Amino acid sequence: MQAIRTKIRPVAAKFRLNPVRHHGGPKISADAPTVQFTFVNPHPSQGKSAADEKLTVTARIGETLLQTAHRHDVDLEGACEGVCACSTCHLIFDEDVFDELEEASEDEEDMLDMAFALTATSRLGCQVKVTEEMEGMEVRLPAATRNFYVDGHIPQPH
Amino acid sequence: MSRINLIRRQSNLTKKSYYHSTSISLKPKISVAIVGSGPSACYTAKYLSSTLKQQSKKGLLTGTNIDDLERVDIDIMEKLPIPFGLVRMGVAPDHPEVKNVENDFAQLFAPSDSEKEENIESSIEFFGNVGVGTDVSVEELRSLYDVVVLAYGCESDRKLGIPGEDLEGVYSAREFVSWYNGHPDYVHMGEKFQKVLHDPRNSSVVVVGQGNVALDCARILAKGRDGLNDTDIAKHALEVIGDGVKTTTVLGRRGHVQGAFTIKELRELTKLGDTDFIVEMSELEAGNTEATQAELDGKGARPKIRIDKLLRDAAEKSGSASSKKEKQVKLRFLLNPTEFLAKNSDHTRLGQVRCERTKLEGEPGHQRAVGTGGFEDITADMALVSIGYKGVPLPGMDESNFDFKRGVVKNTHGKVHGVENTFVSGWLKRGPSGIIGTNIVDAKDTVSSIIKDLQNVPEDEIEGRYGLQTLLAKKKVQYVDWDGFLKIDKEEKSKTRLRTDSQPREKFTNIDDMLKCL
Repeated sequence: MQAIRTKIRPVAAKFRLNPVRHHGGPKISADAPTVQFTFVNPHPSQGKSAADEKLTVTARIGETLLQTAHRHDVDLEGACEGVCACSTCHLIFDEDVFDELEEASEDEEDMLDMAFALTATSRLGCQVKVTEEMEGMEVRLPAATRNFYVDGHIPQPH
Repeated sequence: MSRINLIRRQSNLTKKSYYHSTSISLKPKISVAIVGSGPSACYTAKYLSSTLKQQSKKGLLTGTNIDDLERVDIDIMEKLPIPFGLVRMGVAPDHPEVKNVENDFAQLFAPSDSEKEENIESSIEFFGNVGVGTDVSVEELRSLYDVVVLAYGCESDRKLGIPGEDLEGVYSAREFVSWYNGHPDYVHMGEKFQKVLHDPRNSSVVVVGQGNVALDCARILAKGRDGLNDTDIAKHALEVIGDGVKTTTVLGRRGHVQGAFTIKELRELTKLGDTDFIVEMSELEAGNTEATQAELDGKGARPKIRIDKLLRDAAEKSGSASSKKEKQVKLRFLLNPTEFLAKNSDHTRLGQVRCERTKLEGEPGHQRAVGTGGFEDITADMALVSIGYKGVPLPGMDESNFDFKRGVVKNTHGKVHGVENTFVSGWLKRGPSGIIGTNIVDAKDTVSSIIKDLQNVPEDEIEGRYGLQTLLAKKKVQYVDWDGFLKIDKEEKSKTRLRTDSQPREKFTNIDDMLKCL
């Protein structure tokens, strides 16, 4: 596996334009218990050649997968900042892991309907919290390349 | 070449290159101008900047050696003094969580993080209050920048092209949305809306179209002051909408499975406290052709299946509803507007919308609405036409690079046909569809075309940002930079402007007022 240097995004120093009115995800401290799992295709914008790249990360139990991804510089968007109002943090799970997850809310299902390349085991990273059982799992970021257009994919109408 | 660049370039020669076979020398600094500042512009800037940084580090870029590249300047031109396009001027005021993406976009303009080690420096600057095509021409931009990206979206709309469309009371949804969102160019519409909606609680509105813009309009009209007071809706809109419009009918010529709306927006209509949401089961059934059933069965049908269920539940509920609320939103299908009819009392003003009932014909995924010969007239004091936005060409564009019928720039993966080093992204590229997130895939597509094309950028020194600043000074254009925008932003949030504590901002609706903050 290719070693990838990770940069820690300075979250505290993040410049904000709008006040935090809806906070996305719980605050889990750095000394919380952790598990390790692997993001597949952590940098989708680099195209097909990077699609099988893997990045193993240490995740804090209780935080959302979107939070884990952002702490490790995984290119998972979170356009609405983790409040289930977009579908840009779409993740694809293995079936056995997916089956064990807490069921998605109606709001999450509604947003998933708008996700690109939706699968039967898709969830939103901002709505799924890290659990002990995730130790060793692999979770995939959907490909987001021009292939969508080549394959004749039509974006969901507005 | 300046001395510094020369030294930098020489130092590059000592860098270890893994790609001897594809060594194409790029100039050390590339300057990019992006026209527009909405989601497609911001995502294009974001991915152009981040992809170049990542590629340079990992050497994954195919076909081009970008070792020589040291700096990318991206300048975002915006006609208004404030950025973010439809996030500010399109997204409904009661969807504040959708506007959180502004925080992400704001990172682009914030001073760069000096702790980060990057092989390529990148700076993104905002040039607000600069009209491309008015203050500066796109040709001038091309002479100043290596790459120009058009991302100014859709400034016009599709028309129905039926009799009566010019009656007083018939407007485009785009005008209505821009007005309630406080767009300076649409403030004047308020007088017209006020006139036709002078007594909202006794008024009827028809919205023609079945996309999310149509549903936004209906929801805003129904909610009125009580439902919108804590949002950033422009004050002038609350004054006109008052306590909400009595009856809003959203209609379209095809069936509920063919609608362009998404489920979140539909579900919101089922949850309006003081407003009934009415769906006719007979219309859902009429649209339930064999082809429709196939559409509900096919690959990727999940969103349609869930919409079908939601609307059937709503229809059952509206059939059995004993309570009648003060206001109602009706969602009607298989109705094709054929004429806007004037009021009997005033033949210059809209009174009814005449619709022909339709049926669906054709293959799954390609069903068309065909007239049945039956007609229905629906009372309306105002009609909003919401059948799609349309891009407009910049001066100098013609059939070779602009599709006038669709209102999009002709392109292949974002590279504009027949014009060197010019690209397009967003609605102007793919047409007016999709949610904010759709622009992510779209921008990445354009960015990879830009990067593949970087080797074609001429070696000549160009002036870039400095050149633009000089040109604007010469033309006496007062541009608004990022710090300038932050001053406007701060004023808009000032407590003295707000009607309630939780209102996020009261927007300035006049450009002079914005410029006074500087």
